[in-house]
Amino acid sequence: MATYCYDGSFEGLLTVIFRAFEHRSIPEQIISTEYKQLGLLASAFTVNTDELLAERVLRGIDKRTDNRGSRLIYHMFLSEQDGAEMTIFHLVKNLVDKGDILSNFGNPYVAKAYQMDKMIGREVHRMHAFVRFQKVADADMYFAIINPSCNVLPLIGEHFVKRYADQKWIIWDAVRNYGIYYDLQREIFIEPDHPLLKTLVESSKQEDCYQQLWVDYFNSVNIRERKNTKLHLRHMPKRYWRYLTEKHSR
Amino acid sequence: MSKIFEKLKVLADAAKYDASCASSGSKRFNQNKGLGNAEGMGICHSYTEDGRCVSLLKILFTNHCIYDCAYCVSRRSNDVRRAAFTVEEVVDLTINFYRRNYIEGLFLSSGIFKNPDYTMERLVRVAKQLRLNHNFHGYIHLKAIPGASPELLKEAGLYADRLSVNIELPSETSLQKVAPEKQYRDILGPMNYLKEEKEERSDHRPQRSKTQLFLPAGQSTQMIVGASPESDYQVLRLADSLYQRQKLKRVYYSGYIPIATDNRVPALKAPPLIRENRVYQADWLMRFYQFSVDEIVNEATPNLDLDIDPKLSYALRNRHLFPVDINQADYEMILRIPGVGVKSAQKIVSSRIYQKLNIDHLQRIGVVMKRARYFIKCPGLYNANSDISSKDLRSLILSGEQQNSLQLALFS
Ligand code: SF4
Repeated sequence: MATYCYDGSFEGLLTVIFRAFEHRSIPEQIISTEYKQLGLLASAFTVNTDELLAERVLRGIDKRTDNRGSRLIYHMFLSEQDGAEMTIFHLVKNLVDKGDILSNFGNPYVAKAYQMDKMIGREVHRMHAFVRFQKVADADMYFAIINPSCNVLPLIGEHFVKRYADQKWIIWDAVRNYGIYYDLQREIFIEPDHPLLKTLVESSKQEDCYQQLWVDYFNSVNIRERKNTKLHLRHMPKRYWRYLTEKHSR
Repeated sequence: MSKIFEKLKVLADAAKYDASCASSGSKRFNQNKGLGNAEGMGICHSYTEDGRCVSLLKILFTNHCIYDCAYCVSRRSNDVRRAAFTVEEVVDLTINFYRRNYIEGLFLSSGIFKNPDYTMERLVRVAKQLRLNHNFHGYIHLKAIPGASPELLKEAGLYADRLSVNIELPSETSLQKVAPEKQYRDILGPMNYLKEEKEERSDHRPQRSKTQLFLPAGQSTQMIVGASPESDYQVLRLADSLYQRQKLKRVYYSGYIPIATDNRVPALKAPPLIRENRVYQADWLMRFYQFSVDEIVNEATPNLDLDIDPKLSYALRNRHLFPVDINQADYEMILRIPGVGVKSAQKIVSSRIYQKLNIDHLQRIGVVMKRARYFIKCPGLYNANSDISSKDLRSLILSGEQQNSLQLALFS
C-alpha cells in the first residue's frame, strides 16, 4: 500500500495506474501534487507523467470495453468528485480482472462511475444552458464567464462551435481560471495571460439594451398564480445566479 | 427603442399561457457556418419563478384578435393593452437573444387580426427571413392559425421545425361553448393536412437528403384541463387518438388558470395544478411505459387519483400481477413496478445477467425502494405486508411518505 502522487493531469493519473499495476500494488490513495503541499505526505511515491504509458492504459481499457471505457474514465476524472482517482483505479482493476463489466450496474465501482458520469453530464448540460454571452463593445466578439462545479470546459466547446460557427467567442471558467477561445476556425484553450483578455472592455449601450430586454422577457413570462420557488431553485441553484443575466442584481 | 420594450412585455405576457416549450426532436443542424443548431435535445436556458422552463422566445406577433374565446386573455371582449410587432422586430430579437445563448429559438403565436391568412402570412414571413436572410438554424415553432389556407401551412412547414394548432377544450361541445368561432374541424383539418404532407414528403424524398426538411419536429397541441366538465378518461382518450391518428409528437396539458372574468368558464380559486401534473404522468405512462389509456383510466375509474401517481394507482388496482420477480420478469413488467423508472428498468435487465440481483444491487441501480418494496420479489427483501389489502397498502404508502416529509421538515 502506498500513496501515489501525480501532476493533476489525466495522463498523469493514467501513468499512476500503469505504475501501480507494474508494482502489483493497490494504492492507498492517489493525490495530485497541488495537494501534496498540504503537508501530509513526505513519503508519497511521485509518478512522472508519461504520455506513451497513458496511451497504453487507455487502449487497454477500450479493448476490454468495446471502446466505451476511456471516455467514461475521462468524464469521471473531469467530474472532480471526491475519490474519483481511486474509483477510476478500482474500475480499471475490475475491468482487467473480470472483463467488460460496464453493463453490470450491481458492481459498486460501475455504479459509482456512472454516478460521477451523471454528475458531470448534468453540469455539462447546465453550462450549455447557463452560458450568457455579452457582446464586447467595438469588437466582433462574445464573452461569457461560468463557474461550473466540475471541470466541464474540455467537454462543452464542440456544442458551442456548432451553434455559434459564425461568431468569435470566449468562455471563461472563473473557478479554474482558464478559458476556450473560438476564432471562427477552431477552439483554443487560453490562460489568464492571453493578450485577448485585455481587450475585453465594458459593454456597449446596445448590449445593455438586449440584456434589459432579456430581463424584461424573463419577468413577463412568469405566471404568478403558479409560483413555485422550490422548483425554481432546484432547476437554477443560487450558486449559478452570479453569471446569469436574468438573475444577478443589476 | 422604448417601444420595443413595451411591445415585448405585452406580447410575452400574452403568450405565456401556452404550455409548450419543447425545442427538441428536430434534425436541423448548422450548415455553411451559419448561426444556430437545432439537432438533438432541446435546452432549458432558464427557469421562471414558477419553475417552468424557458427554452424559446415565446411571444405573440400580436394580441389583437377578432375572436372571443372565453379562456383567453387576448379575446376581443377583454379590456387589455394591445400591441403588434413588425416582422423585422421579431427577427432582430430572435437573432440577438440567440447569439447570447438565452434561447434555443422562437415560438411565435398570434391573435388573429383581419383574418387567418393575413395573420399566418406574417408568421411565415418571420420564419422565412430567419432562415433565408440570416442563415439561422435554431429552432422555430409556429402556431398554425385555425382556418389558414393549406398553401400557407405548407410554406410554414418548410421553414419551421414544429407547427401546433391548439385543440384547447377536450370536447367539441365544450369548445363550442367557450370559443363560438372555433370548431374541431378547423383544428383537426390543419393537423391532418400537415400530417399527410409530411408523410408524402418522406415517402418521396430521396434517402437522407437534408435540403428539404419539412416540420422535422412534427406537430403538437395543447389541451386546457379544468375549464370544462370532461373527465380525465375523456382527456386522455382524446390525447391518445391525437397521438395515433394525427401523429402528434406531444400533447401539452394546461391546468386552467382563472384569468378570464368571463362567465362561460368556471371561476376557480387556483389553477388545478395537481390534476395537471397527474395527467402529465398518465401521458408519460402511455408514451414511455407501454400503458394503454384503459389501463390508466376507464369507464369504472374515469378520473385519476389526485393523491397518488397513476402508476402506483394501477399497481394497487392490479395486485394479482404483483409482486414482480426482479430476476425473472419481462422488461415490460419491470417497467410497471412503482418506484422503477425507464433507466432503472434497463439497468436491471442488463445487470441481472451478471448475478442474481438482491436488494443492495437494486439500491445501487437507483430503484426507489420505499416505493418498490411492496411490489417486488428479490433476495434480501422480506415482505411482511404481502397480504395486506390494497386500501391499507395505499394508506401505508401515503402515511410513510407523509412521515418522511415531516422528518425532512423537522431536520432541515
Ligand atoms: S383566437 Fe386565439 S388569441 Fe384569439 S381569442 Fe381565441 S385563443 Fe385567444
